[in-house]
Amino acid sequence: MQQAPYKAIQKIILASMILLPFIPFVLSLSIGYYFFAAALESNTVSRMERIVSDHRQMIETFLNERKADLEYILHAHSYEDLLQPGSLDVVFSLLQKESSAFVDLGIFNDQGVHERYCGPFELTGKIYLQTDWFKEVMKRGVYISDIFLGYRKIPHFVIAVAREEKGRQWVLRATIDSLLFNRIAEGVRIGKTGEAYILSARGILQTSRRSGGQLMDKCEDTLQYPEASAEIQTFIAKDIRGNKFLYATAWMKERHWLLVARQKKTDAFKDLYSAAYFIVIVSIVGGAIILATACCLTRHIVGRMAAVDAEKDQLNRQLIWASRLAELGEMSAGFAHEINNPLQIIKNEHSLIAMILAELKEKHRITAPDSLPDLEESLDQIDLQIQRCARITQSILKFGRKSEPAAMKVDLKQYIPEVVELVAKKAGVHGIKVLQKIPDSVPPAHVDPDQLQQVLINLFNNAIDAILEKHGSMGGELIIEGRPDPTGMIEILVTDNGCGIRADDLPKVFTPFFTTKPPGKGTGLGLAVCYGIIGGQGGSMAVESQAGRGTTFTIRLPVASP
Amino acid sequence: MEKMKIMLVDDEERFLETTRKLLARKGYDAVTAASGREAIRQLESRHIHIVILDVKMPLMDGIAALKEIKRRFPPVEVIMLTGHATVETAIEGLKSGATDYLMKPISIEALIQKAEEAFAKQMLLEEKIRLAQGRLFMKSPREILKKAKDPSAPD
Repeated sequence: MQQAPYKAIQKIILASMILLPFIPFVLSLSIGYYFFAAALESNTVSRMERIVSDHRQMIETFLNERKADLEYILHAHSYEDLLQPGSLDVVFSLLQKESSAFVDLGIFNDQGVHERYCGPFELTGKIYLQTDWFKEVMKRGVYISDIFLGYRKIPHFVIAVAREEKGRQWVLRATIDSLLFNRIAEGVRIGKTGEAYILSARGILQTSRRSGGQLMDKCEDTLQYPEASAEIQTFIAKDIRGNKFLYATAWMKERHWLLVARQKKTDAFKDLYSAAYFIVIVSIVGGAIILATACCLTRHIVGRMAAVDAEKDQLNRQLIWASRLAELGEMSAGFAHEINNPLQIIKNEHSLIAMILAELKEKHRITAPDSLPDLEESLDQIDLQIQRCARITQSILKFGRKSEPAAMKVDLKQYIPEVVELVAKKAGVHGIKVLQKIPDSVPPAHVDPDQLQQVLINLFNNAIDAILEKHGSMGGELIIEGRPDPTGMIEILVTDNGCGIRADDLPKVFTPFFTTKPPGKGTGLGLAVCYGIIGGQGGSMAVESQAGRGTTFTIRLPVASP
Repeated sequence: MEKMKIMLVDDEERFLETTRKLLARKGYDAVTAASGREAIRQLESRHIHIVILDVKMPLMDGIAALKEIKRRFPPVEVIMLTGHATVETAIEGLKSGATDYLMKPISIEALIQKAEEAFAKQMLLEEKIRLAQGRLFMKSPREILKKAKDPSAPD
């Protein structure tokens, strides 16, 4: 069996069986992943943008309301009114009712002197002329500060409004509870790591940050401050610890504060990562299944191909063998015919010589009677050798005979004992026990009974010869067995416990003119003829043997159709 | 009793010669012919009882010669001799009117035995014919006379 072509075919089948399902498999997985990733990304980003936008709205509303509260006081009361002792306290208590975010309230003249103060600290009389917030509010009329420490050394931020009254400016300032404000800003939670905080234009934290960072800490992250547009910007950047975050930023209050919402990238795209994880698992499992299936199927297909090829080879060999046998048969038939003619002449000449010799002897005309026995012996020998030649040509002619078998339904249970009977006497003489095992379950065979008889007799005679060679006239055993075989044919087994066939000779037993018998004893055609006959009946013959142990010939015959 | 006359037909000259000698020594008259044509030519001029005919010969093969002999000389008994005893040739020969067939090589004794059997069969047949003809003569001289005048009249 050639291995190379199967290897090549195996490779081709395996490659196509792996690649063909892999292409759509990988394609669908990657397309699915791509669209899922795109959808999830835009979804996540827009959610961040919405959160930032809503949050900004909320904080701005809060600040605007607080500013409006102060502006209302500023316009509802005059400077002088509020300077009256107790007056500011009343206003402050009203204000605190409006919003608990107010911590204190104070009035300043245009020189920055804290004229009146209402709140938990002692700040009356302090001068704020040089402070940033005072300068800004004097300039613009309204100011919301960044968070700073101020005189009280506590982080806070203020809202201040200024009014010009009778040619003099005065300022109303309120401090906002930074804790409360913090709570508003901080009240954003997105997933596990999502948070929002506010940065001043100088990068100082205006609210505390859940992931670390107290009020007024400098934010170390290198944030790209967006341009002055109102648009919300989203981007991915690393923080100081190297974690990647998805950021959404928006300016509020005229680029004064930057609202930042951020979420760890791994958290924001958690679904994407689990999808990727799932896809990897599916790829591995699916790939393994495809590989295993392809390997199994390929092995199966190549195995079938090899089996079919082997069968074909076997069939071819049988065909070649059969045609060779037929050719040989034809050739040897012609040859036998040609030999028989001269043989006939030799025989006649021999008869003539013998006859003349007998006459001479009778008439005592032989002058050298001493050599007469030699002469007669020689003549006998010629006759014997002619007979031997005749036997050979007869066998050859039988072998080459191409008569059509007359197959019929043969019941082996009845038929085999009849055939065995023909050799029973010969076997009995040599002390051979003949056993027949033909169970009732053996169906009738479709075979020419005369030809089968010829085959069986031949096998029986061979078996008897083999037994005699091994055992002499004691302990021989010949078993004839019939049974249905698994392929739906009938098997007839002829087993002897004779001398067996040498392993070297075993493949040659059916070859014409092959014999192990001494010259003159066998023509070497018996088994070849048997093989030809059984083959011609649609059956087959096989042999198994162990030298010194015995031989089994197996005849397989087709079952007769009922 | 008539003496048996045998004709041997074979293309092997030496076979014819030796067999004729052997037969002569055994006390039989034998003529030989080297081909089917020659056999037929001789049959025309001689009275022969038994023809021993080789099946395989050049020019006119044994079966053809057999058919010709049986057609033209029906009483002659033909024994087929063959170097190739196939059942088919034997059946064909017997169907075409051969009495028997023999397989080469054959001993002279066997040959004579078969020839004698065939001759006995022939003699028996001739005896029957003679008897029948005798009865015919016994029947009615007038009828015989009538038949002589008009051969188409039924017996």
